[in-house]
Amino acid sequence: MSAAAAPDAAFLIHGLGGTQYDLGSMHKRLKNAGLVTYSLTLPGHGTTPEDLASVSAEQWVDAVVGKYREIRDQHPTLHLMGMCMGSLLAALLAERERHDKGNLIMLAPPVYIDGWATPWYRFMRPVLYRIPGLPRRMKIEEEDPYGIKNEQLRAIVKAKFERGENFHYRWVPLECLRQVDRLRAMVMKAASHIRCPTLVVHAREDELTSLRSANFMVETIGGGRARMVILEDSYHMICVDNDKEIVAKNVLEFVGAALPGAGTSLANEPRMSAEDLAAALKVVLARLDAGEMGTLRELAIPDFVWVHPGANAVSGAHVGKAFGSFAERFGALGNARFTAFGTPVFNRGVVLVPAQLVASNDSARLASSGALLFAFYAGKLLEARWFADQSELEDAFFGKPPAPDNAAVALDAAFATAAAEAKMLTRAPDNATLLELYALYKQADAGNVVGDRPGVLDVVGRAKYDAWSKLKGVSRDEAMRNYVALVGKLKGQEVTA
Amino acid sequence: MHGWHAASVFVATAKGGISLGKVKTIFVVAAAYLLLSAVSAYFAYSDQDAWGVWLASGFGLGLLFVRPRADWMPVLAGAFLGALIVEPLVGSSLVDTLGYALIEVIVTFAGGAVAAMISPPPIRFTSPRDVGAVVAGAFVLALTGAVIVGLWGELAGAPDAWRTFRVWFAGNFVGMLLVAPFIAAWAQFRPKRSGGLTMSSFAGGAVACALFLICVSVLFATHPERSMLQSFADDLTYLPFVFFVVVALLWGTRGATLAALIGAMIAIAQTVRGLGPFIDGGGLLSDAALNAQGYAAALAMTGLLVATLVEAQRVAAWRAREWKTRFEAAIGAHGMIAYEWAPESGQLVVSGDTTDLIGVPAQKLATLADWLACVAPQDRNAVAERFGERGTGGAADIMRYAMSGPAGISTVVDEARAIHDHDGALHRIVGIVRTTAITA
Repeated sequence: MSAAAAPDAAFLIHGLGGTQYDLGSMHKRLKNAGLVTYSLTLPGHGTTPEDLASVSAEQWVDAVVGKYREIRDQHPTLHLMGMCMGSLLAALLAERERHDKGNLIMLAPPVYIDGWATPWYRFMRPVLYRIPGLPRRMKIEEEDPYGIKNEQLRAIVKAKFERGENFHYRWVPLECLRQVDRLRAMVMKAASHIRCPTLVVHAREDELTSLRSANFMVETIGGGRARMVILEDSYHMICVDNDKEIVAKNVLEFVGAALPGAGTSLANEPRMSAEDLAAALKVVLARLDAGEMGTLRELAIPDFVWVHPGANAVSGAHVGKAFGSFAERFGALGNARFTAFGTPVFNRGVVLVPAQLVASNDSARLASSGALLFAFYAGKLLEARWFADQSELEDAFFGKPPAPDNAAVALDAAFATAAAEAKMLTRAPDNATLLELYALYKQADAGNVVGDRPGVLDVVGRAKYDAWSKLKGVSRDEAMRNYVALVGKLKGQEVTA
Repeated sequence: MHGWHAASVFVATAKGGISLGKVKTIFVVAAAYLLLSAVSAYFAYSDQDAWGVWLASGFGLGLLFVRPRADWMPVLAGAFLGALIVEPLVGSSLVDTLGYALIEVIVTFAGGAVAAMISPPPIRFTSPRDVGAVVAGAFVLALTGAVIVGLWGELAGAPDAWRTFRVWFAGNFVGMLLVAPFIAAWAQFRPKRSGGLTMSSFAGGAVACALFLICVSVLFATHPERSMLQSFADDLTYLPFVFFVVVALLWGTRGATLAALIGAMIAIAQTVRGLGPFIDGGGLLSDAALNAQGYAAALAMTGLLVATLVEAQRVAAWRAREWKTRFEAAIGAHGMIAYEWAPESGQLVVSGDTTDLIGVPAQKLATLADWLACVAPQDRNAVAERFGERGTGGAADIMRYAMSGPAGISTVVDEARAIHDHDGALHRIVGIVRTTAITA
């Protein structure tokens, strides 16, 4: 696919000591809106806080510049988005690369470290930086309120910290703050050279950095290019706190994306030409005709929904991950597939196609006529609905919804328990085992690997992708069983130790 | 029993071997002992050969307050080493040096052990019990040392063993109250990215601290032959306490112990030089230095107590908030609302995510009328009537009615129970409301 025909993309950069968790569900929301998202794990992250001590601001900048250059020419539009320190990196990237292929979104940029909860001794940092050996050894801890105003969410984050989950570093070396201070100085100099439209989202009650930071960016970029959204019910982690919906809405609007799931998806401008729509439909119908319904996930947004009518074993709205198991079940019941497609009718991004659902088993044969409705946006399938002319035919063929399978329920429960236990292991497994755990979990949870393989600079992301892709074709049940067994083995080793 | 336990700890620790960390602790404690001994010497009465305040033992005792018993050995070894170095410098013989070094270990251990029995380490200054442990630890350390040294003097035929006992006890007790909590509080300091003492609190505390130190300095700079202004300063002997309490309120334990240490040092240093309000004596302890020591002890204990009570309040509020969060998470996860209705006053207190379920924040549901306004019009009269019956009868009651919410009209099940007072009279109606279906 040429860059011009490719969908829009967004490059998301996480914050200091953090992971993609910092950005909440922004990846998913952008994907749902038809954008391709890219991210990277910044140098010194994704391992242990000690690794941050030897990382310089320039290494972070080089990493994001490298990733940017890798993806820049693959899309007609590329938006830059960063959270906290990630927003400083995004701003520097925009300035250094003279970014004009999309917008810049700065979420809670810490241009000034002057929030209401910052401790009094923050001004002593420059003095401490000069004491030999100290910056690398001094630990700066993360503490209540953890950047989160929502108390229930804060309790969850606190519990994660106490369990030692690796979603965010519990502390960072002072040296690392020195590098952030250097980044802040670079951004202050560079801000006036940023030329792309910029959105700054900042919470009034941000405990780490006050609104002064957002004001600085908007005033310095100026020229009608920058605008600001002030949040009234969040602290620093705005993508996960009380105002996360407002953040998502403003970001999606700013990048000109649709708002799927908000009741507007079907009426949206699809951002696809008539030829693209026809081509996308052709692929979808071919897969349905071949009985490969499960592969539609590759063509769809993460929250893709298939709505099937009637009161039978395959009825209901099957959303996101649940679509995978529905498709498996659907195919298994008499080799069910759609065929005999009629002439499609297009209306903006919505297509209605007459079709027939056929299936057969030893004792019966089904030929149910009706129409399939598909909604597309930016090259992705948003939603599919089957309107059967006589859904009672399907009820008779597929039978009543099955009673819960005790073995399956037990396996689900064991998997959930193992996933919880894996987070509470007192000894961190080695990297190979961690990758194995990750791959098994993803295979059980999301099925075969999807998305592009991360670039060489994203070492951690690439290793995870590779581990997951090795399990391609392994069934969900088998992945769950193997995951449960592996966690059991690790727990057993702890007991023995 | 405790002695046996202590001995077993010593043996167990000794068996653990010496690591680099332990060696570092030994030398740090010994170095601190030397430094604090030098500072204490500055406050000594040169003419009477007596210590105004003995600070050196406080470092070790402070570390015992925050370390588990298994880690006490290097601290005690450091105190022993420190005393071995200091004593010859002040003219003690070899036997006396060994004796004082041994006493140092015994009294530090005794103080730490007593404190640990009252409040197990680490002492975090989050309850008055912690303050009690610190005061008791300081008291036992001072008393044990004073008794041993007094008896030693008596047995050796030294003149005025009672005076030795008194000076030792007072100097040590005050010194421990000043240094040990300071060390314990600051040993637990961890720099943070966010959280802790904010700039506004720091600034307020700094102003109060400056006023406190200025007051103490002026007060203890008065000469026995007073001018009128100095006599006026005498009348304000306890004014520094006002500012000191503000310091403790704003800066917490760390700030309070720091300010107390500096303020007390000024008071004692000036007093031993013949200045300050206590110099013409006549007080309860009939000695200017003792009065100054009492003043310092009062400062230290006041600061600790105020800061600890503030911290205890903060911890209590935090626990209450955690409990509330857990409660709301539990009922929220089940899609429930809890209410408490006082029939007599008509007041209603509602908990849970009412915004999600009925589209109105809980704060706006302050009376039964507010609640009824959310009930669907067709059920409103019936619900009002049933609440009236609940308010008079007080029996358990379940009713189903429709409420308007953000997702449309929903059917709810409202289960109420009565709470009666000791006389059996109706006190409150409490209820749980569950959404069962969105009907329109």
